[in-house]
Amino acid sequence: MDQAAQQTIQPRDPDTVMTLARLGAAHQTRLSFMRQLLRRLVRDDWTITQTSFDIDAGGVGHAVYTAQGPDHAYSLVAFAHDLPADQRSDRVIATAWDATFTLFDGIPTKTDIARLRDNVPLQESGRISDRELSLSRANRSVRLWDHVVGALSQGHQPDEEQVRAVGYLMRTTAVYGSGKFGAADREQTRHRPECAGPFQIEMLSVYLTRCFVMDLVEHMARARAPKTAVPLDPALRRRFGIGNSTGLGMAPFLVNHPALLNAWVAAREEALARVRSQPAAPEATAQAFRRFAARAQVHAEGWHSAHPMQIEKCNALRTDMTALMAHLDTADLTTDHPWNRLWLWGEAHLSLEGQEQLASLLLEPYGDLVDDLTRCMAADEQASFPIDGTMSTNRLKAIIEDVYAWALGLDWTAPDAQARVWYTSQAKLEPRLGERALEPIEPYEQPLGPGRDAVLAHAALRDAPQATVAEFLLAHPRHRHIARRAQIAARLPYAEIRDNTLSADMLPVDMLRLKLSFFGACHFDPRSDRWLRINMFQHAPFPHELAEMGDDWTLPPLPGSAQ
Amino acid sequence: MTWSLNEIEALSRKATRGAGYPWGLAEEAGRAARWTCAAGWPGALALADVLTRNDGVPANTLGPQTLGETWTTSAGLLCPLVTGAALCDLAADWAAGRSVTLGPGAWPLLLVPYMVWAADRTGAPLSLDWHGCTITRADGKTLLDDPGAALDRAETDTVHLSTTEARAGTVLTRLYRATPMPQAVAILDTFAQRTYAPETEASRLTGAGAGLVDND
Repeated sequence: MDQAAQQTIQPRDPDTVMTLARLGAAHQTRLSFMRQLLRRLVRDDWTITQTSFDIDAGGVGHAVYTAQGPDHAYSLVAFAHDLPADQRSDRVIATAWDATFTLFDGIPTKTDIARLRDNVPLQESGRISDRELSLSRANRSVRLWDHVVGALSQGHQPDEEQVRAVGYLMRTTAVYGSGKFGAADREQTRHRPECAGPFQIEMLSVYLTRCFVMDLVEHMARARAPKTAVPLDPALRRRFGIGNSTGLGMAPFLVNHPALLNAWVAAREEALARVRSQPAAPEATAQAFRRFAARAQVHAEGWHSAHPMQIEKCNALRTDMTALMAHLDTADLTTDHPWNRLWLWGEAHLSLEGQEQLASLLLEPYGDLVDDLTRCMAADEQASFPIDGTMSTNRLKAIIEDVYAWALGLDWTAPDAQARVWYTSQAKLEPRLGERALEPIEPYEQPLGPGRDAVLAHAALRDAPQATVAEFLLAHPRHRHIARRAQIAARLPYAEIRDNTLSADMLPVDMLRLKLSFFGACHFDPRSDRWLRINMFQHAPFPHELAEMGDDWTLPPLPGSAQ
Repeated sequence: MTWSLNEIEALSRKATRGAGYPWGLAEEAGRAARWTCAAGWPGALALADVLTRNDGVPANTLGPQTLGETWTTSAGLLCPLVTGAALCDLAADWAAGRSVTLGPGAWPLLLVPYMVWAADRTGAPLSLDWHGCTITRADGKTLLDDPGAALDRAETDTVHLSTTEARAGTVLTRLYRATPMPQAVAILDTFAQRTYAPETEASRLTGAGAGLVDND
């Protein structure tokens, strides 16, 4: 074997990967949780059935969708409501919604439905049980909903431009899982193969929600005009995803689950390294890559946001995609480590948006090489939780100097460095972000500034007479939190965001975007620096189309293609 | 009504922080309460009592003064949250054959999860005993031998920790739901409330980034 064929590319450095700006440029990949789910549904031959649809002409009632797998069934129980327009809000502090949902473990009886009807519509104010695995709600996109019902009831298809502009008929807000509001804990189901991966329950719930919403809109059109109404054209129907409004609550999740964050990012980085390490590629793979890239260009053209910061990023991405397509016209994609050469070209010529899109694209033709990494994306968080108190204080100090080097180089006395406070409000326990200097909220600060905390611990360690971490933490228990994090990050390179989560110019949406990209979301549309909207399962096959279309759906089809 | 274990953990973590403990100890206390509730023990009641006793007391005065062969505190009773944390920190020492006698202390059953984590970390079987109650963690299983019903004592003079060859008692079956006593939940909730910022108009409008119309 010659030298080049043995070249192995190492995963990217966490100091490069884990900056907020780069996390805020993350794209879905074939390792994303929605795509894991649909691959499983196809592979294990799941059937999805509408088992009940008891909804009146006013749109009020309930429906049940059951997904039957090899060993277990899961049922989305959906309640449709008649919500006055002035109550429609995506905030967590809302108290009423157009539709509410739970994912039931098994097939619900009438008694179960009656119990759920008394609780699920209340969301946080209700109570669910260990038979339920998730709790969620959705509001209509009023502008598109009315248009689609109107068009279908009059016997014609909705206007494609309006469908394109919004992309979904309902958007979910919170999707609660894992023991929230009385639901089953994750450990109750995680031994089942379909529940082992992260957020598979929640993704199944959203996928079934999409089925329900599309059935509901057609039902409402028929109810309005039974003689003239038509169903949606199948190709147009697939262009509807499920929207989601996501706020600050997701940002603390990433900081509070360092081992899980590492598992997600490490899997993606290992996948990228495997592809970059390929010494050569068959011509068919090169052609497949060019098609994926062309579809990503269509995706970039169709990505709209009203937020100046995202408009700029989308413009950069479109410029990047033009440059990439031009480069691909002449690039050799088959010999001499073609993907590594392409990657290095991208690092030199593309914005962060374009680079992360390229990382995603490089995985697309290589399912056989990378899809097995999805098995590494769950984490046993208890295993990394205990602190090793027998470690020397010198070693802990050295770890901090390595992992938090970026933080030790900052001036934390500057007002901007820790301008923000993460806290929880009394109102429905909504996570919020405030200004340290302007609001009396510091006593309520959540531990979400690891960089600042590491610098404080480092200063204390410098003067500490204690030889071991256990003795040091006994004298200084306030540093236990960051000592644990540092020890985790020493073992798990992508466990920490290596950036300042308290600074005046920090954008929470960057953290949200990383998490949502691992879900598999597209069309990030920030509405402010701290909440955004996305589209989930857009272009995905419906249950009866799964076997035919499989996993290749996230990037939009090329104009004129069979899809 | 039963609770999910996540709910117990979250409530306990916030309550511990609300009582003045630093976040790191609160995170561990949340998991300890979860573990004891999953064992079917009165973990929520024990935690509520510990927090009530130690409300606002600096955590660095609640644990052992030094980490020698005997652990005591000048403050009266050892707090199981601080003591348990130190006990778990030294997992490698116990695996190497060191042992410790500690006390007097409050609610020794809250020490058990920390001992379990230490045993699981190294693989060395460990046992805790007080007043004839012995709890052993070995091979991923927890055994309880408690002929004198001393498990849920609120106070104990001494607790002994060491590695062990013995496998006394019956294997605990873990539960997936918690049934905490309502009065314990009420106390924990009162402490947890202290971690929530009071609602203000400015916070409501800007804290979560609202302001744009979202009814579209």
